[in-house]
Amino acid sequence: MSDLPRQTQGDDPQPARHFPLDEADAPDPASPRPRLDFDSQLPTQQLAEESPSRAERDLEASLGRPRKRRWGLLALLGGGIGLGTAELALRLPETLLGGDWLSGGWQLLGLGAIALGAAALVREAWRLRRLKRHDTLRSQLACLPQADTAAALNLARSLKRQLGLDDDHPHWQAFLAACEPHHGGDEVQHLLAHHLLTPRDREAQRLISRMAGETAVMVAVSPLTLVDMALVAWRNLAMIDRICRLYGLELGYASRLRLLRNVLYNMAFAGATEMVSDAGVELLSLNLAGRLSARAGQGMGVGLLTARLGLRTQRLTRPLVFGDSEAPRMADLRHELWQQLRHLDEPRKQSK
Amino acid sequence: MRQTLTQELGNLIERGRDRQLRLAVTGLSRAGKTAFLTSLVNQLRHAGLEAHLDLMPAAREGRLLGARRVSQPDLGVPRFPYDQGMAALDAEPPHWPDPTRSISELRLSVRYRPARRGLLRSETAELSLDLFDYPGEWLLDLPLLDQEYPGWSRNMLAGAGEQRRALLAEWESVAAKLDPAAEANEAELAAIATLYARSLQAAREAGFANLQPGRFLLPGDLEGAPVLQFFPLPAIADADPATLAKLPRESVYATLAARFRHYQQHVVRPFYRDHFRRFDRQIVLVDVLGALSAGPERFEDLSRALATLMQSFDYGKRSLLSRLFAPRIDRLALAATKADHVTPEQHANLTALLEALLAEPLQDLRYANIPVKALSLASIRATEAHQVDHQGQRTPALRGTTLAGETVLVFPGEVPAKLPGHEFWARQGFDFRAFRPAPREGSVLPHIRLDVALDWLIGDKLK
Repeated sequence: MSDLPRQTQGDDPQPARHFPLDEADAPDPASPRPRLDFDSQLPTQQLAEESPSRAERDLEASLGRPRKRRWGLLALLGGGIGLGTAELALRLPETLLGGDWLSGGWQLLGLGAIALGAAALVREAWRLRRLKRHDTLRSQLACLPQADTAAALNLARSLKRQLGLDDDHPHWQAFLAACEPHHGGDEVQHLLAHHLLTPRDREAQRLISRMAGETAVMVAVSPLTLVDMALVAWRNLAMIDRICRLYGLELGYASRLRLLRNVLYNMAFAGATEMVSDAGVELLSLNLAGRLSARAGQGMGVGLLTARLGLRTQRLTRPLVFGDSEAPRMADLRHELWQQLRHLDEPRKQSK
Repeated sequence: MRQTLTQELGNLIERGRDRQLRLAVTGLSRAGKTAFLTSLVNQLRHAGLEAHLDLMPAAREGRLLGARRVSQPDLGVPRFPYDQGMAALDAEPPHWPDPTRSISELRLSVRYRPARRGLLRSETAELSLDLFDYPGEWLLDLPLLDQEYPGWSRNMLAGAGEQRRALLAEWESVAAKLDPAAEANEAELAAIATLYARSLQAAREAGFANLQPGRFLLPGDLEGAPVLQFFPLPAIADADPATLAKLPRESVYATLAARFRHYQQHVVRPFYRDHFRRFDRQIVLVDVLGALSAGPERFEDLSRALATLMQSFDYGKRSLLSRLFAPRIDRLALAATKADHVTPEQHANLTALLEALLAEPLQDLRYANIPVKALSLASIRATEAHQVDHQGQRTPALRGTTLAGETVLVFPGEVPAKLPGHEFWARQGFDFRAFRPAPREGSVLPHIRLDVALDWLIGDKLK
């Protein structure tokens, strides 16, 4: 070892260095903060809930429904209607006095049209309000298990009003007889589901099965694609309306859209299967019996889809959400449907 | 003998078809076992007519047709005194059924209409339900089966709190002087055992639950027999087991250990073997309100007693084989009884407190994947829930008749959702009053949530 001071290389360990003492005291902003002692009697606050970060807020704002009102268009429309009404109303006596019967008639017609439109708007607003009330009830019923007895009974009463039952209705009376003051929210929910909703569930089930069967039969016997599609649209819409009326609840806007999409899908299916079965029959040149069976198969498919739509409507409109095991299943309906179609198919086969 | 064999075979076939259930109604003394069983029989007998079992789907749908008492399988055991219980409730003034002093059994045949009709199913089906009643004190002996005398002796003395020690002080001062190696003196041992039994009685009066051996409290026909003349030895608390084992047969230690073993083998084991081994369902009844009124030490004591007790049962999933040969409890209900002694909005808290009390066994049950349901119930509802306007506020209240015969309208106090801290006990504590049963209107007993318990315990067999 030489005792000459060596030239330090880049990766050699650094030699010791000394610094003046006061230089070390400069606090590093990145170092952990030292302990702070507080007086234990000092009043404290709960930790505030973490406020959402800026990025989250931005995201929320961008994801939220765009609330763009077309004020200009609305103003034009409102102004046009208002001024038009005013003009029509003001000029009406003048024209009538002037004896110009034709333009007077036109003015009256215009006023009538405006009145009709206004009435329709008011009715729509009224229905929207009712829809909103229904939605509120549904979300309140969803929290029924957490409610105490008095609140649960109040909810039960509003459900009764919703379903259009009067105080003497046997179902409501049976519910009142079963309810006891010590029952909590979840127990009241069970009783409500059994006494008020189960009879309506059964009725809805019957309705679905009947309408699905009818649609299936009609589709099976109808010869034309267009007729099939129209039939399916008509029957499906009628079914949705009747199920809704059964539960006293009208559909929310979004759920109605979703259901309508289902209706359209069903119609498309009816159209497509019609063409496929026609093409298939012609290609394979099957006899009439085979053709009938293919039609029955098509009817079955449409019927099943209708039944599924019915069940979905039922799920969406029922004031209380179905429990795990009580939701109706397709399997129960499928059998009935097939029975109906078989009855239809058999005599034809025999006559053949 | 032939008859029993036929009966055994019949049972086996019934069990194979899963048409038989044995229900373990477990509860320490005064938890309300007899009231529960009386009410259960009463409700099932009146099911389908005037019984209010609306929270039990089978009954709600009108499928439960009723139940009948049938001859029980074991003819050597007395029948459950249902009629006596009902007579007590019908007496003028009504009183609760007398505490159980011995074992009794009952078989109910529950008839129902199956929900789905199949090819092989008939229009009605039957489920036989085996129930039995026993003194709660005896139940405490079950954990003894896994213990040896020295270990038991240590356990008995180690876990005791301040108040319990005070109750045992007189006995302990005498027993501590006893030399384990000295020659046993029959008269002296008998005297100390009597003293021990007396202090156990006193502890029970004071509200403690974890008291072993149970027959000391309710000896039945064993009164005065040498098998009931043993007690824990304070002097062997930290002795070496090897030296203890070498002590001669006449020594105090060896005599006591022999009596302990005899008690284990000839008193506890037959009780366990004949009645406690084969169960399918269990309901654990706990008088939470009583324990709460008695104070924190007794509450802890109850928790410990129940935790050790529940280890004596077999839990597990049932299959055809296990159903036939080694039945296991596959479903369990934990019930806080006497829920009618508090106002209805406290029931949720009562259930939460029960879960806190049984936290230890609940963990094991969850590990074993056994479905458990905790609920609060009143087998026989003695009060009516009302509301009163008090100082401008609407307050819930109960109307009932106390045991002394005084009709009161009272808000009994809130039940904590978890066990409060020591300061609270020192400051306030709880005092829930006991009520006597109300005179009966109609033939069916009023209850709270007995239908929920029944549905949980047997509802899945009534499908």
